[in-house]
Amino acid sequence: MIGVVATNITSPLGMSSAENYQAVKRGMSKLRRYEGYMGVPEPFFASLFTTEQIGGMAVEGFTRFESMVLHSVRDALSYTSLDVGSERVVFILASTKGNVGEDGCEGDELGVLSQKIADELGINTMPIVVCNACISGLSAQVLALRLLESEQYDYAIVCGADCQSRFIVSGFQSLKALSDVQCRPFDDERLGLNLGEAASTIIFSRFAGSHDWKLKRGAVRNDAFHISGPHPKGEGCYRALSSVLDGYDINQLASIGVHGTATMYNDQMESKAIERAGLSQVPLSALKGYFGHTMGAAGVLESVIMMMSLDDELILPSRGFSEIGVSGKVTISGEVITTDKKAFVKILSGFGGCNGAILFDKKDEESVPAVCEMKEAGHVVISRDRVEVNGKDLAVESSGKAMLTDLYKSLECNYPKYYKMDMLSRLAFISCEMLLEKMPSNDSINANTAVILFNHSSAILSDRAYKKTISDAENYYPSPSVFVYTLPNISTGEICIRHHLNGESSFFILPSRDDEKLKSVVDALCRERGVQRVIYGWIDCPDEESFEADVRLLEKGTITTF
Amino acid sequence: MEELIKNLKAQIIDALNLEELSIDDIDTDAALFGDDGLGLDSIDALELIVLLEKNYGIRLANASEGKDIFKSVRSIAEYVEKNRKK
Repeated sequence: MIGVVATNITSPLGMSSAENYQAVKRGMSKLRRYEGYMGVPEPFFASLFTTEQIGGMAVEGFTRFESMVLHSVRDALSYTSLDVGSERVVFILASTKGNVGEDGCEGDELGVLSQKIADELGINTMPIVVCNACISGLSAQVLALRLLESEQYDYAIVCGADCQSRFIVSGFQSLKALSDVQCRPFDDERLGLNLGEAASTIIFSRFAGSHDWKLKRGAVRNDAFHISGPHPKGEGCYRALSSVLDGYDINQLASIGVHGTATMYNDQMESKAIERAGLSQVPLSALKGYFGHTMGAAGVLESVIMMMSLDDELILPSRGFSEIGVSGKVTISGEVITTDKKAFVKILSGFGGCNGAILFDKKDEESVPAVCEMKEAGHVVISRDRVEVNGKDLAVESSGKAMLTDLYKSLECNYPKYYKMDMLSRLAFISCEMLLEKMPSNDSINANTAVILFNHSSAILSDRAYKKTISDAENYYPSPSVFVYTLPNISTGEICIRHHLNGESSFFILPSRDDEKLKSVVDALCRERGVQRVIYGWIDCPDEESFEADVRLLEKGTITTF
Repeated sequence: MEELIKNLKAQIIDALNLEELSIDDIDTDAALFGDDGLGLDSIDALELIVLLEKNYGIRLANASEGKDIFKSVRSIAEYVEKNRKK
């Protein structure tokens, strides 16, 4: 029975789950207008920590982001007697950008900092960073569920966190996604999202008690539509919802915790997906009006608030909402609702076309996960000047970035979007092009193909390129297209769009390349019903001229030999 | 005007990474968005907003404001001619 044994929320509203819940129950929020803050020329509306709060969390030798994570995890641990040093404990960190806003820090810090935090906490197993855009905090819980279900570990400490910075705020501004007034999820007059900063932790155990919340199912699905715009009918969101609710009595659901960012497209898309999934009557909980969009923390933080409010027999008002402004039929309220139901679904969607859904309830019934036997059906290795396909070297005449472009041309795929991609996505794209070149496919296979990539350097080249567009006040032109590629999981989205893949898409960062660890994560994730194909591997691009791709294709059932 | 159109085409190719295209490949009156013409998307539209601000000092609040302006290279050129600040 995989359940929740302790939680924390660290946000501008409070330093523990209890403080945060009491604050939102009173209708409070720290969302406010900032002008000329963090070196961002245009005003914005956000929920940010005060200098005093930051000082209170600060741990010597650790950045603001790292200190926030340490505070959150330590507070959650204080409610347990967990031996964190045990080999049966795994630490999963969910973040989109980690330290990137700190001077001198870059994206490759995510793996490094997760190890540093694990060391400080006394955790002895290798940490895993989930970097799956705005659904990271939810993806991390799906990973925890699978790692515990497969009995690789007994306990998972899942922490989702993100700090706000000039980097992130300017990026969202360049995408015209921010509202400079209070956000209004699902409302007719919504103008965009507000950003927020927070860290939130859930400790999951295989030995949860009968009163604990149980994490029953989880699913991640890709839209295969666009890297930054959601599918208009919420294809991936609908598929994720349908997957976790397959065979489940939806009358038991108290609420659906929506993403509800208050952008035009997101809320509209979610309303369509919810209606398509037959959930129009289930009340929604939209929490961004209290905390803003806390990015990597959102999936964890919003799940914790939902558990606490349902324990309190309440569905909290969707702060900022007053009049419905979406065309899909949904039930949402600006007023509090009472309920005695003890089950909910939490959904999130993010850049790269990823969508996640998790199902929590309090029932003791054991869910029986599927175990898929997968066989290897392809293997591609690409490095600076070498290409190997299924064990055979391919003759190449160029090297580095030029070699990738030569490969693109030789594959004759006629996909001009290739030139818009950053190096990480180009590398992932070419690898999968070669991996899938001679593989037959159909709609059913594509709908159930997962893309699971790992690296060490995140999207460091795009981080550097984006920083250049905002570093000079005189020449400040944040580039929306460069900003999008600073999320490494965009590479998985590009592959899903190219090959029409609607299965899971996830991106993980490890402190260092460890093929055994990588395979154990993939094996755990394959314990999902219906998975037919998995594309997985290492895609690291720390430099335009030196990179490393080592990607494999797994297939269910019939063995394809090469 | 012809000079401006030529410059705009070069700037669009550069800003949107249309690597396989040259100035002569872009039809001044063809649709920039949608399946015909260049097939640009929503991020390209946002990148065009940056292009106008950077090169001509023109600020657009959002992509929907640019809808009519970004129909073709000619419509952009006409708008720039009237509204440019640099």
